[in-house]
Amino acid sequence: MPKVLTVDDSRAVRMLVSKNAKEMGLEVDEAEDGQQGLVKAAEGSYDLIVLDVTMPVLDGPGMLAELRNRGDKTPVLMLTSESKRSIVSSLMKLGIEDYILKPFKPDELKAKIAKALKIAGPALGDEALVKEMASIVQAPSASDPKAPPGGKQFVDILCIDDMENVAKRLRTMIPDHVTLNPASSASAALAVCRERVFRIIMVDNDIPDVDSSSLMRQLRVMQPQAAFVSLSLRSVPKAQDEAREAGFVGVIFKPFDQAALEEFLLRYFDNQELIATSENVISITPFKGRENRLAGYFMQVTNLVTKAVEEIAAACFAEVIVDISQVPLLPEKTGRMVMQLAERTRKVGLEIRLVGPSEVSANLKQLVETSDLPVYPTVAEAKAA
Amino acid sequence: MTQAAPGTTSGASYEKLAEQMEKIVLNRISNDQLVLPPMPVIALKCLTLLKNPDFSLKEAASLIERDPILTAQMIKMANSAAMASRDPVQSVLQAVTRFGMQKLRTFLIEASARKVFESRDPRIVEAARGVWEHSLAVAMLARDVVAFSNSGSPDFGYLGGLLHDIGKPIVAAMLLEAEKAILGVKASMTWIGSVEFINIMQRIHRHVGVALAKKWEMPEPVCRSIKDCDEYDNSDRLSVANAVRFSNAVAKQQGLYVGHVDADDIEALVMIGRSLLGLEADVVARLTDGLKNKAKDQMT
Repeated sequence: MPKVLTVDDSRAVRMLVSKNAKEMGLEVDEAEDGQQGLVKAAEGSYDLIVLDVTMPVLDGPGMLAELRNRGDKTPVLMLTSESKRSIVSSLMKLGIEDYILKPFKPDELKAKIAKALKIAGPALGDEALVKEMASIVQAPSASDPKAPPGGKQFVDILCIDDMENVAKRLRTMIPDHVTLNPASSASAALAVCRERVFRIIMVDNDIPDVDSSSLMRQLRVMQPQAAFVSLSLRSVPKAQDEAREAGFVGVIFKPFDQAALEEFLLRYFDNQELIATSENVISITPFKGRENRLAGYFMQVTNLVTKAVEEIAAACFAEVIVDISQVPLLPEKTGRMVMQLAERTRKVGLEIRLVGPSEVSANLKQLVETSDLPVYPTVAEAKAA
Repeated sequence: MTQAAPGTTSGASYEKLAEQMEKIVLNRISNDQLVLPPMPVIALKCLTLLKNPDFSLKEAASLIERDPILTAQMIKMANSAAMASRDPVQSVLQAVTRFGMQKLRTFLIEASARKVFESRDPRIVEAARGVWEHSLAVAMLARDVVAFSNSGSPDFGYLGGLLHDIGKPIVAAMLLEAEKAILGVKASMTWIGSVEFINIMQRIHRHVGVALAKKWEMPEPVCRSIKDCDEYDNSDRLSVANAVRFSNAVAKQQGLYVGHVDADDIEALVMIGRSLLGLEADVVARLTDGLKNKAKDQMT
């Protein structure tokens, strides 16, 4: 069993260190100043010394210097209320393993003792939470192809809400292939964010004793790739504005509305299916869904094609062929979409060739901005032009 | 900077000179006589506008549109990855709407600070660029550190980091002006050596930085971050100023700094800061990942 020596003139600190070290299954001895510490260190063999700086008789730096003079290389963890860099810097030169500033949290002490002794540290998670999650989650296994490098499991959505029913309800309304983790508190969310990688993180804007914006910022540091969405009651005034102001990409209102949820899922999970790109040909796939989602469809398609156009330009093609023959013909929306695409292609120095039926061609001819754009009946003809 | 010219101030007396200069600067600050760079007019007008709780975004946008450089910077930032947007912004009004009040305020201060770091003097232009890059790195890191340690407003962390060294280019410009006055047009000579120049600047720049921050009406946590960036305040552990101090040390450790760095000192500051702010080593590693590139990106 590893042995720890705590050297501190405060009995309370010695007791606290002993208690935490014993909880870790370690054997602990105490000394109340540097002189006593040196005697103990000479008598017994310790795996770690937890040392204070300011003590009567012989202080921490004095004891540390003497230890090193004797050739004793026992790892030393400084536990002190001293935060002057010159003092800590001189201690580092004498060889310390790590440093803890008083007052300290037991978790920090345990983690740093564990690190110094190279043993397993305190568990960060919450067992109850893990069990709770296991009951609802349909997360992929570690061998899932979606698992990102580094071994962390990939999960589509993290839903943080103190009302457990919110995640349960959400689970019933989203497709089975979309994976979901619930978290009913800020600490649970932070714990799970250490272990997994999320695509979307939903944060309730009314968790007791938690500032949702602040929680979101903390999580964003750990999950920089995630999109953060605020969960709000419909009755909250200016929820959209406040969420945007705080840095969320949008709001999903509770109770959930199936159509709004579908719109949201379309935005984040169906993108790859809306367009297909092969070399310099972009084909827009047909619209599937309810009519009230058409506006979202056009917006998504425009964004996706815009990005694809940039990739084609980067690959040094001179022209881009955009097949819009499957796009529903809504004169105003189609015209606006094509205008935006034409503008983007001009900006990146590409020539645009459209593929579509004669109705599309006739529609575009009526608009000044699109009247001169060539529209071909087939991709082959567009390529040959 | 080159070595001191014969007949000018030598190393032996520079300490006295530095003391005198510090006295003069402090005296001028206390009498409100120190000439400091004003906030650019458009930024000032816009910030004044933002103080009104009923301000109109349209009005703010039309003010910004009068400055083409500010307009370009704003649209670029609104379309940057940091704003995490899917729809491209094409107008200032769209950008202002996306920014919101707090981000708009931060943007205007950043644009104003950037001007302070622009020097026409070829001798300090590179150093000023380096200090600006360091400041951006500290700002980005401090924003995340503040958020992660829950030690205040991340925006104040960003501003504190951005402005913590803002006194440096101002003092450098003051010293070059003084040099001109002493030596006239003898451009090949210098009145003090480069080491002395840096030492005097180090000694004075925080006073000047705080004076500028107060003149620009920066919030108190931002002014505190500039005032003393070398030692932590143990009595106020979770503070914006401590987060900026920690970020400053980490940025230096990452090599994002112009000037001499004492590696032991910096390591000690990082070690203390981690415990003070409750940050684990893996979190710090994640926060600093790609920091240099992010700072470079933001410079352009």
